[in-house]
Amino acid sequence: MESGIRVFLLTAVLVALSGCATVRGWFHHGSKPAAASSPTAVTGAEEEQNAPPRVVEPEVARRQIKVPRIRSSNFELGLNYGVLSIEDFGSHASYGVTAAYHITEDFFFQAEAGRSKAGRTSFETLSGNIQLLTEAERRFTYYDLSLGYNFLPGEAFLGRGIAMTNAFYLLGGIGGTDFAGDTKFTVNFGAGYRVVPSDWMAVHVTVQDRIFQTSLLGYTKLTNNLEARIGVTVFF
Amino acid sequence: MITRAPRLALAAFLLLASLCAPATSGAREYLQLFVTRPYLELHTGPGRGYPVFHVVPRDDSVDVLFRRTDWFKVRTVRGVEGWASLNDMQHTVLADGSPFHFELGDRTGFTSHRYEGGLFAGAYGGASLVSGFASVSFNSQLALEGALGAYYGRYSNGYTGDIGLAHVIAPEARWSPFLTLGVGEVRTNPKATLVRPADRTEPTAYVGGGIRYYLTRRFFLRAEYKAHWIFTNRNQNEEADEWKAGFAFFF
Repeated sequence: MESGIRVFLLTAVLVALSGCATVRGWFHHGSKPAAASSPTAVTGAEEEQNAPPRVVEPEVARRQIKVPRIRSSNFELGLNYGVLSIEDFGSHASYGVTAAYHITEDFFFQAEAGRSKAGRTSFETLSGNIQLLTEAERRFTYYDLSLGYNFLPGEAFLGRGIAMTNAFYLLGGIGGTDFAGDTKFTVNFGAGYRVVPSDWMAVHVTVQDRIFQTSLLGYTKLTNNLEARIGVTVFF
Repeated sequence: MITRAPRLALAAFLLLASLCAPATSGAREYLQLFVTRPYLELHTGPGRGYPVFHVVPRDDSVDVLFRRTDWFKVRTVRGVEGWASLNDMQHTVLADGSPFHFELGDRTGFTSHRYEGGLFAGAYGGASLVSGFASVSFNSQLALEGALGAYYGRYSNGYTGDIGLAHVIAPEARWSPFLTLGVGEVRTNPKATLVRPADRTEPTAYVGGGIRYYLTRRFFLRAEYKAHWIFTNRNQNEEADEWKAGFAFFF
């Protein structure tokens, strides 16, 4: 332990020294050396002196063009509602929120959080009065971060007049699940379908599996918790 | 309670008004660009897979409504709206004839930038870790950075928070190594079936290093290792290794 602290302090000193040595100027991002611009300034001034005096001063007002900023619309926020099948505990309604950031036309990041409630296992139903979990422990809360990939882009048509762009997407990510009085590391993967009726909103249908390890029933096993949900999102 | 209700109602109204504002104000000014190539293709959606349904001829102008990823939603003088790709838009000009340029980030930006952020997956003392970081750079080599993480282990769960300095050794290189040093806190929630030990929060210090790899535009990969010392009030301090890799961006 003693040697550990010594190594730590020594590394601290080393990093600090190398850090300070390489500091070329605090708070000067991409600053250009001033010397480079001065020779051209001098030649400019000389030309001005050698030029013949102007008889008429031109009165040309250069048209200034204001460049409006282009608004970006890469974020997508939404609410969803669906069914979550909790392994051994039945299927129940789930509701959640998603927030996505579209990086390119192909990839996006998505953060998800949602909640559902577990039912009774068949053992609890058959045995009568035995309760494996308390009411609070039956609450199933998930939150995770996923990477999405859009594929099969296309258009969906409603009658003759309405065309909406759409795409399928794959999701995969990691996160946590609060269930049965414990928080479990959770891996998720899934797929979804997105229809975009207007520029600012989209409708999603998503199926996602959340997999985590549990030893709730006496032995350790991986549980698959499938969720099917429908959601509405807003782009901004 | 009586004064609260009108204030709440006012806040709700203001929020609603601010949400509706972009939709109702039609007088918004858009950037006008002129086509210099023989034509500009308009797609039905923001992606290369969506078909071309309209072309804007040379010297005609389009108004740029907004941008989504690499695609611009534009409106022609005749009122046709469609999506034009950034690559095609690079060949348009402003009303004064100067070329339209859109900043998407490059290697120069990777070398010297102000802010960084990213997400990681990894391991913390043998437990699975999900973590994120943000940093502000003083110059191209020195940055102050903070990281938050949640770990899920067999014997305990918890949260980590770190703040420290990062020193980038070769900022101009595509594979760019760095060193980190700092302090933090770790919150541990032990799992136990019989005796339930209390949750504890302990100060930590870390030293570490890693590597960044520039991908494209504003994005890079980042992998790092941190050796943590956890200062406990028990007889022995603890050590924890943190390994993580992830995706990061700068701006």
